[in-house]
Amino acid sequence: MPEQPERIRGWTHRLKVCVPLPVEPSEVRDVSTWLDMTKDQPNPLREGLSTRAVPQPCAIVIFGATGDLTHRKLIPALYNLAADGELPPAVTVVGFARRPKTDEEFRNQLGETTRQFSRQEVRDDIWKTFSQSLFYHQSEFEDEGGYRSLVKRLDQIDEERGTRGNRLFYFAAAPEQFEPILKNLKAAGLNTAKKGSWARVIIEKPFGRDLASAQELNRVVSNSFSEDQTYRIDHFLGKETAQNILVLRFANAIFEPIWNARYIDHIQITAAETLGVEGRAGYYETAGALRDMVQNHLLQLLCLVAMEAPTDLSADSIRDEKVKVVRSLRRYRADEIAKWVVRSQYTAGAINAEPVPAYREEERVNPNSETETYVALRLLLDTWRWSEVPIYLRVGKRLPKSATEISVHFKKAPMVLFNRDSIEHDQNVLVIRIQPDEGISLRMMAKIPGTSLRIEPVKMDFHYGTSFGKASPEAYERLLLDAKSGDATLFARRDEVEEAWAFIDSIENAWSGKDAPPLTFYPAGSWGPEEADELLARDGRAWRRL
Amino acid sequence: MPTTADSVSLGLPVAIDRIDRELKKLWSEGEGAMSRASLMNLAVYSEEPDSLTRNTQLLARITESHACRGIVIGAGPQSKNDCIEAWISAHCHVGRAGTKQVCSEQISFLLEGAKVKLLPSIVFSQLDSDLPLYLWWQSKFAEPMDPQLWSWIDRLIYDSQTWRDFNAQMRLVETAQREAKQRIVLCDLNWTRLVHFRIAFAQFFDHPSSHHHFREIERGTIVFGENFRSTAMLYVGWLAAQLGWEIRNGKSRDRIELENSTRRTVQIEMQESGDAPISSFVAHSSDIKFEIALARCGDLLEVCRAKSDQAPARQLLPAGENDSVKLMSEELMRGGQRRVYLRAVEKVRALL
Repeated sequence: MPEQPERIRGWTHRLKVCVPLPVEPSEVRDVSTWLDMTKDQPNPLREGLSTRAVPQPCAIVIFGATGDLTHRKLIPALYNLAADGELPPAVTVVGFARRPKTDEEFRNQLGETTRQFSRQEVRDDIWKTFSQSLFYHQSEFEDEGGYRSLVKRLDQIDEERGTRGNRLFYFAAAPEQFEPILKNLKAAGLNTAKKGSWARVIIEKPFGRDLASAQELNRVVSNSFSEDQTYRIDHFLGKETAQNILVLRFANAIFEPIWNARYIDHIQITAAETLGVEGRAGYYETAGALRDMVQNHLLQLLCLVAMEAPTDLSADSIRDEKVKVVRSLRRYRADEIAKWVVRSQYTAGAINAEPVPAYREEERVNPNSETETYVALRLLLDTWRWSEVPIYLRVGKRLPKSATEISVHFKKAPMVLFNRDSIEHDQNVLVIRIQPDEGISLRMMAKIPGTSLRIEPVKMDFHYGTSFGKASPEAYERLLLDAKSGDATLFARRDEVEEAWAFIDSIENAWSGKDAPPLTFYPAGSWGPEEADELLARDGRAWRRL
Repeated sequence: MPTTADSVSLGLPVAIDRIDRELKKLWSEGEGAMSRASLMNLAVYSEEPDSLTRNTQLLARITESHACRGIVIGAGPQSKNDCIEAWISAHCHVGRAGTKQVCSEQISFLLEGAKVKLLPSIVFSQLDSDLPLYLWWQSKFAEPMDPQLWSWIDRLIYDSQTWRDFNAQMRLVETAQREAKQRIVLCDLNWTRLVHFRIAFAQFFDHPSSHHHFREIERGTIVFGENFRSTAMLYVGWLAAQLGWEIRNGKSRDRIELENSTRRTVQIEMQESGDAPISSFVAHSSDIKFEIALARCGDLLEVCRAKSDQAPARQLLPAGENDSVKLMSEELMRGGQRRVYLRAVEKVRALL
């Protein structure tokens, strides 16, 4: 029996597609069979090695190559992958953007920002080699000619660098640009790959702003790329701690038997940040916290916490289970929304003792804006496992600290023995910290030393940073590698996105209706409006103190 | 107070029966934000003089990335004095978050004369419970192997590069493994030295359409440093084990003749040069050359697949370092069994 990898870094590790380079044209068979081939004919020399197989060589075309995402995340992620030996040498990046620029200027600018934002120190010798794989292609997104010349350039790169006709299109541009880019890619024939090659597209959020626009976007995307070519990126899923949720649940025998309504009282998911809109007002004004965070990141975390065990670790098995969670979210009637969903906006206050303005006073924000910067929801999942277990979500800007975490609150011990005389005993709480200070803690009750019987909560705490000296790869490193390898497990599927929007729409519609609940307010630097506290207080509960 | 990595010492001398109490005191007297962490018990055994200080320095660096309870044992079985001494200390490093210090405890023992026989009871009494026990054995294995000791060990770490008689030492290791009812995972740092060369060669063949080269490799050349013949041999053993080659003739020190699964001959040239454990490996398959060479900087590998009519695609990959701390860190990052290692050893055992 073949030896398993010496260290499995993620739960999808054993499913990686292994496509090396360079491969002679005569050796390449139909790409659709690659996954099966690599599973059926594993590389015997990989047995027992801890690294994953290198993906196929490809050309990565980044639309919006002069933007922040490219400079801060994508190129540093690719550099780190190259430095760790996870990329084949032929991988080539073509930045597609409007501004005129030479390849050399593009490389120099990326060199500066990669040195600034890279997870590991940039080594000149590695950068020198890596930077030779970076190219710039100047064109307007709407200019068909720019795509025709892109075809020629990619063909030339195939010839010179051995990218073998494989294309990964990364949409780091504004969503309104997606349609012209997709149409032009199709017109230029770049949406389909030559025999034996592949073409894939990675789309950054937001995937629409409601169900209708998401369906329209999906329709536009599907006109050019099929679902199995489409990778909708949600960087939360690339985080080590998010991936660890399934390991925690399904690799430990002690949790699954109590992971249900019989033992769990409620769940809280919090995504708090101290930042305000930070120059994203134009987008944020049209989105708000519900669309910006809940529809994607928080619902994805909820899915990982609440899903049933998949039948295997394939992308679709996991996503099948995740989408069932979203489908089972109980829809509130319009007149119930005000009771179970709190929307709020920050007023002037202080963060870390520094005064900060109100949202309405931020640059490029409408002074009468009704956009929510905070939202709290009480959700129910209509499944046997989660019947009547409330799940409280809260997300907000300008909160006292930045933290994303999931807390699972277990039911109290029976009111006998130690609990007979005290009804104030705390619950056991399992906390999964997504960021920062990634880790897991469990709160339990313990006797205070002394002759009298006094019981207090204590915390067992596991910190990734303390236990594992090795830094985790950035979420984008993992996700880029997965997309190149054809592993869609950590990417959102069309039905997931649309089901999530259908749920969010029911709330947004109520908020925009004639009986819309009024927007509430909270001072910057507080933990949100009183109404959010009341949301839990009505159930006899309180938000966890972070 | 815990020591920092900068000021390594054996720490505070303690009586054997007060180790627990003194460790607790050590923490209660610590200043600042500190967190004790441990993922394993790492016992280091050596019979070299001054090994306690040297291994304490190594452990100070290893604990930067592998929090553990360190148990450092310096043994002098030939000493005429029967003596036992102990020290406690801690290695603290600022964690990745940059605020809290993460500390690993170390208990050091000097055992001399007959007291060396107390090794099992000393090790077992100081373990951090529920954590695996890794024993890094830096000396020669000698008979009789104490079954009481081996039955507790999860991973036995050694460096076969230092062995003069590979087969005799390996037999003893296998005895230990049998005593432990196969529970011990054998971790050879000489095998760990090969990780990056293995990865570099394996990545040429990730796609099944490249697998035909496994049958077509005709010859190869491996260049190894002085005293690293066994490292090179293990590499050959790995290729043979994984690609189904059989050794036909290994009498020459410069060449090994193998036969592949289609009964074709594969010649591997063995060249000793330089001081790096392995400085290059080149394999030829029909018209393609697979080349891995240590780059001049020393910590990168230049990897290249060249076809006579195509421009070669070059790449730099991590090379690792032949340094005890780096090798141990690499080893401690890995879990799992070592079946591939055992298969590789089996292939070249007669030549080692």
